[in-house]
Amino acid sequence: MQLARVKSASAHRRARCSRFTATAFACLLATVTPARAAGTAAGTIINNSATVDFILAGTPVTQTSNVASITVVERIEVVLTLQSPQLVVAPAEPGRSLLFTLTNTGNGNETFSLAMNSLLPGDDFDPVPAVPGIYFDSDGSGDISPGDAAYVPGTNDPALPPDTSIDILLVNDIPGAVANGNVGRSELTASSTTGTGAPGDDFPGLGDGGVDAVIGATGGVAAQTGEYVVGDVQVDVVKSVAVTDPFGGDQPTPGATLTYTIAIEVMNTGTAVASVFRDPIPLDTTYVAGSITLNGGAMSDAVDADAGELDSTGAATVVVRLGDLTQISGSQTVAFQVTIN
Amino acid sequence: MKKLISFTVCISALMTASFALAQDKGHLNVKTVVQKEEITIDDSGARKTRLVPAETVVPGDSVIYTITFTNISEEAAENVVITNPVPENLTYIDGSAFGPGAVIEFSVDGGQNYGTSDELVIPDNGGSRAATAEDYTHLRWVMQNQLAAGSQGVASFRAELN
Repeated sequence: MQLARVKSASAHRRARCSRFTATAFACLLATVTPARAAGTAAGTIINNSATVDFILAGTPVTQTSNVASITVVERIEVVLTLQSPQLVVAPAEPGRSLLFTLTNTGNGNETFSLAMNSLLPGDDFDPVPAVPGIYFDSDGSGDISPGDAAYVPGTNDPALPPDTSIDILLVNDIPGAVANGNVGRSELTASSTTGTGAPGDDFPGLGDGGVDAVIGATGGVAAQTGEYVVGDVQVDVVKSVAVTDPFGGDQPTPGATLTYTIAIEVMNTGTAVASVFRDPIPLDTTYVAGSITLNGGAMSDAVDADAGELDSTGAATVVVRLGDLTQISGSQTVAFQVTIN
Repeated sequence: MKKLISFTVCISALMTASFALAQDKGHLNVKTVVQKEEITIDDSGARKTRLVPAETVVPGDSVIYTITFTNISEEAAENVVITNPVPENLTYIDGSAFGPGAVIEFSVDGGQNYGTSDELVIPDNGGSRAATAEDYTHLRWVMQNQLAAGSQGVASFRAELN
């Protein structure tokens, strides 16, 4: 395959420009620097010059141009990601943590200051920040644990190279005066200590190696909000017993039959998810076979498709699965019988 | 006979001297500049674009290299070829190479072989695929006509900072 299309007789090809074929090239590709999401490092100097080859009076000549130089300056970019889902908490529960990941998406080393705000408008309650409230997830557990280092502003502001991350925990206590379904929010903010502002704002000389630092699209600051929701379903359980003795009376004598009736009811909003009733057979009594009922319907003693059984794997226990219960489910009644030994 | 020989020797000495003089001056003046576009919006809301020196850049910026070559000798320059590597950390912007009177070619193997953009292939997982702008290591402009004494040529291309 001929390289250049010769248009005039005077521009004949020189021998040094070799014929090109699809397979006959040496795999001498320039070393490819792996592309980083943050881009070329701040402080990088890129030089370039052109070479001109020509023939003058029959003699080949090569000349090189001057060097054109560009310097890569630092662009400050930061991203915060919320890792925790909405956390279900109990009223007055202490020390619940929200997990965030802070990433330096700029092209220079950057240090960030952190701040926490749990007094956000628009939620049902204000979580109460622990003191201290911001921690690094030093042991990578995803939750607050003794190995985690507390953040002290100005002392251990996280310093991140480009394209690196650190995990941060916000720890709050849940106040007592909250109701089932209430939502409380807590916000983490991370700001570049070099500067924040409008994209394009310039901080001369404050980038890596003394180059300028320029604010990127994120403004040099990132904020994310985590959420707590109060899960406080109230379930009323009322148990009563009726005694029938062998003589037609109601005395708890040996041989008497005890009929236990348990009423289970959700009293507030919310769902008791996958609820299971368990009641061990009392000491000195014997379970009456086939006596378990749910809402009047008989349950077989064996483990099978119905919702109840007598679990004999350990101490004999009556087990009835009630499923998801809400206020609308109404009262669920479980009954079973034993005889006094 | 003796006189003839010395006369010939004298002339060749003179020719060598003038050749050396021309080389000291340089036959072509070759200059490269790198610029970036600056877009401003004037009071009427119109966008105005101008080229400014690209001294400082951030990843994602694009720059324009412009090579100007002037024949400052007294002879025409033949077979003029301008070669420019794609600098490390920059990616050639497809279709941006410009050069009146030149055929523009690219290399994907460090400048050993050149071809037009639709000819180039590179190895890929045991087979091969068409090369793209990201693969180019060099560009060159092959002037199709001689550069007469006193004439000037221009070659330029754009690249984006990774």
